[in-house]
Amino acid sequence: MSDEHAGHHHVNYFIIFGILCFCTLMSVVFDVVEIENKIVLVILVMGVAVAKALFVMTYFMHLKFEGNWKFVLLAPTCALAMGLPLALLPDVGVHYYTQDVPQMHDTVTKHGEKTAHAEEVGESPKTPEKKH
Amino acid sequence: MGLPIPNSKLGMWLFLGTEIMFFTAFIGAYLVLRIGSPGWPDDPKDTHIHVWAGGLNTFVLITSSFFVVVAHEAMGVKNFKKAWNFLGFTFLLSCGFLGIKSYEYYGKISHDILPSHIAENDEQAINKVTDEMEDVVKAEMTRHGLKGTALEDKRTALQAAIGEQKGETLLQLHALDAFDGKFVKLKRHTRENVSLSIAAVDGKFDRTALPAGARLPSLTLHEVEVYVADQKNDPQLKPLMSSVHNPHPIPYGNLFASTYFLMTGFHALHVVIGMILFGMVLMQGSKLDSGWSDWVENSGLYWHFVDLVWIFLFPLLYII
Repeated sequence: MSDEHAGHHHVNYFIIFGILCFCTLMSVVFDVVEIENKIVLVILVMGVAVAKALFVMTYFMHLKFEGNWKFVLLAPTCALAMGLPLALLPDVGVHYYTQDVPQMHDTVTKHGEKTAHAEEVGESPKTPEKKH
Repeated sequence: MGLPIPNSKLGMWLFLGTEIMFFTAFIGAYLVLRIGSPGWPDDPKDTHIHVWAGGLNTFVLITSSFFVVVAHEAMGVKNFKKAWNFLGFTFLLSCGFLGIKSYEYYGKISHDILPSHIAENDEQAINKVTDEMEDVVKAEMTRHGLKGTALEDKRTALQAAIGEQKGETLLQLHALDAFDGKFVKLKRHTRENVSLSIAAVDGKFDRTALPAGARLPSLTLHEVEVYVADQKNDPQLKPLMSSVHNPHPIPYGNLFASTYFLMTGFHALHVVIGMILFGMVLMQGSKLDSGWSDWVENSGLYWHFVDLVWIFLFPLLYII
């Protein structure tokens, strides 16, 4: 039965393969030329990725030749898959509050408070000096 | 009345639907975390990401996907020998993919680019070096069979052993003693946040001459970087310093490592499962017949999905 779906449609898979290779090469070129504008870079490489994905889905996965059941099956899945990223976006992605995390502290502070191995050098823990 | 496709194919598509949600959760969470983390590491010197490796793996997967459709087509025209050959090529390419991935993983592991291992600011970087030197001291003292539960007892045993041993062992013990001295010095300065330019006398810093409210200059990351480099260049200490990493804070490095290994790790697991699916067909050898057509088609759908995931991981992890 599977042959009825794929076998009746003659696709030149080698051309699709060539297009996919070309797209991959384009992605690498976009990296090599070092595009300064990050947004432009994102649009270009993700545009290439979407194009590659469409080629794979359309021809290699034969979705071009499948019935409308593909939309019924895949559309809800794709919509629901966006749930987690969208739920995380307000709090984690786009902070509505001032961020105060260790990664933002680029100077040494409170060295010596971590005295887990203080006894190992033969001395008792001491109150650390603090930087201003 | 039902869908005009085999049940096995419907099952595979339903499974792929769950896979879409699975990987979208990972990729979506990665994107959200990255958007919300200013200064996310994207310099290859920090991440040890190699575009050539990702690009090569993309090419490998695309080629394998092409071979799978050729194999599926060959199954349709009952050219089972050709189908077997192309599935064999696909299997070999998937081995190549995992080989390149392993090389990348090795690079990250050797540079300690691992979740929860990465120092994200100067303080953490200095503490990490100190802890790593301490780990070396403890491991080496254990290796030399120095008795004692506390490190101080082992130090006493080390001095006794130096008086007893000869030859190569004695040289190693001297090196360990010197290394321990360097560790103790760094530990002391780290703990009290005092610059390495200030010498401690009998393990204490002299603050008596300081004006009221004044403090000794603080320890800086640059000082520790130079200190570690000096020890790494010392012929006597070089072997012991091999497992001590240069202090190099990478803001959000742990989040990067977690998401990187999560996404690429699960993707690699899917590659292995795909290899098992193809391996079962290859095991049929000359007995491969049309009864395996649906299997090949469904395995092919699965393999194309694995390719699809990588098509998005490549730009997200390697280029942007």
